[in-house]
Amino acid sequence: MLKPSLAIVQKDLRMEFRSKESILAMWIFSLLIFVIFNFTFEVSRLVMLEIAPGLLWVAFIFSGMFGLNHSFAVERENGNLRSMALMPVTGGSIYLGKFLSVTIIMLLFETLIFPIFVIFYDLQLTATLFLLIPVILAGTIGFTSLGTILSAVSVHTRNQQILLSLLLWPLVSPIIIWSVNLTSMVLAGEILTNFLPLLIRIIAFDVIFFTISFMLFDYILED
Amino acid sequence: MSEIALHLDSVSKDFGRIIALRGINLDVQPGEFVSILGRNGAGKTTLLNIISGISTPSEGEVLLFGTDPAASSNKSKLAVISHEMFLYSNLTAVENLEYYTQMYRVEGMEDKISSVLETVELTHRRFDLVSTFSRGMMQRLTIARALLHDPQFLLLDEPFTGLDQHAIAMLTTILKGQKAQGRTILLTTHDLHIANDLSDRFVVIDKHRVVYDAAVGALGVDELRSRFFSAEGAQS
Ligand SMILES: Nc1ncnc2c1ncn2[C@@H]1O[C@H](COP(=O)(O)OP(=O)(O)O)[C@@H](O)[C@H]1O
Ligand SMILES: [Mg+2]
Repeated sequence: MLKPSLAIVQKDLRMEFRSKESILAMWIFSLLIFVIFNFTFEVSRLVMLEIAPGLLWVAFIFSGMFGLNHSFAVERENGNLRSMALMPVTGGSIYLGKFLSVTIIMLLFETLIFPIFVIFYDLQLTATLFLLIPVILAGTIGFTSLGTILSAVSVHTRNQQILLSLLLWPLVSPIIIWSVNLTSMVLAGEILTNFLPLLIRIIAFDVIFFTISFMLFDYILED
Repeated sequence: MSEIALHLDSVSKDFGRIIALRGINLDVQPGEFVSILGRNGAGKTTLLNIISGISTPSEGEVLLFGTDPAASSNKSKLAVISHEMFLYSNLTAVENLEYYTQMYRVEGMEDKISSVLETVELTHRRFDLVSTFSRGMMQRLTIARALLHDPQFLLLDEPFTGLDQHAIAMLTTILKGQKAQGRTILLTTHDLHIANDLSDRFVVIDKHRVVYDAAVGALGVDELRSRFFSAEGAQS
């Protein structure tokens, strides 16, 4: 069960690190977002802190979309997704493999983006900042667990990217909004009483999305 | 007791209003080499997709080794070669094959990989990215990939198309070797001479139906051509 998933992760990471272009592209893109918002709008630091969490997640989500598209473009090439359907492995283990590789790559993007964010918004590295780790993990996993199955659904359609966006956004937006809220609390240093319940709610959605996708992936592969 | 390798009973397939297959009956014995002939659009690829379990028939029953083609016990017995290469161009030849051995749980990975690379004469390019390969080389690697897990049943969709003379000879030798090992082979092709040379049996599909099914030799190549593939044949 786990072995084929790890084989998928291994091949995906191999290809990703070989063509460093997508990582570099994402990094530059995020840099641009931060530069534009930092220097174009002359706003007070207070306002800046209001919008910064949203900007951070915009950068994360765009990098995630980019990573998803790239990861499934590779599977579309030469019919590889169909080849997976012919292999003696369950849909669940294919889903797990793609989910893991997409998640690892997105977390890697985020780790590279975050330091730029800290510098641009002159954040103090306080102990509470570590609370961002579970927030980012939970938000990212919500995005990738849904994004992985929806990418597989749309990969053989003509307007692949449009379909993916149309399917993904309505489902994933609650998770993103909650993640932005939680990020705001952490950056403002005001951990409200609803922090933990909100985080748990995101995690619950992650578990639901992951489990459903894991079980449905067999049906996605046959067309 | 040798169970039948493939059994199709009144299989039909439609894509919306498009008819792809109509009432196909076909039995294939283990170790048999069957060539499926037919014009473009006759339904050959659709038939192979149904046999491999990628596509489900609109009507009728398909049994591969006595069970549903999509059953996991069948997947490790089956190899498919089609116009889709099933290769990652940003991996080397060896990395592609390693991935396949892991997915098919092939024992003795390294020996197996060097032996199939030897068979398709790609050993000297094994550490090169597939993106640097010519189309013919990619097709050879596809053949190597398909042989990795010692499949019992080979489904080949026009495997000779696009190969040069040398590669055609190579594939012919490989297929003869597979047949000698008792593998069941189903092949679609336009090339009557190659089919005649390799197979035990011809099946002709025309307008989505089986119109001819007989042992090789029952009709000569020229006779087959004039009956099913000539301009006049198309009218009748
Ligand atoms: N996915 C599909 N959607 C719609 N029509 C299809 C699809 N696949 C095949 N067809 C149609 O089914 C018929 C048989 O196609 P195919 O099996 O590819 O023929 P062959 O391989 O013999 O050339 C053709 O008319 C083709 O256009
Ligand atoms: Mg075809």
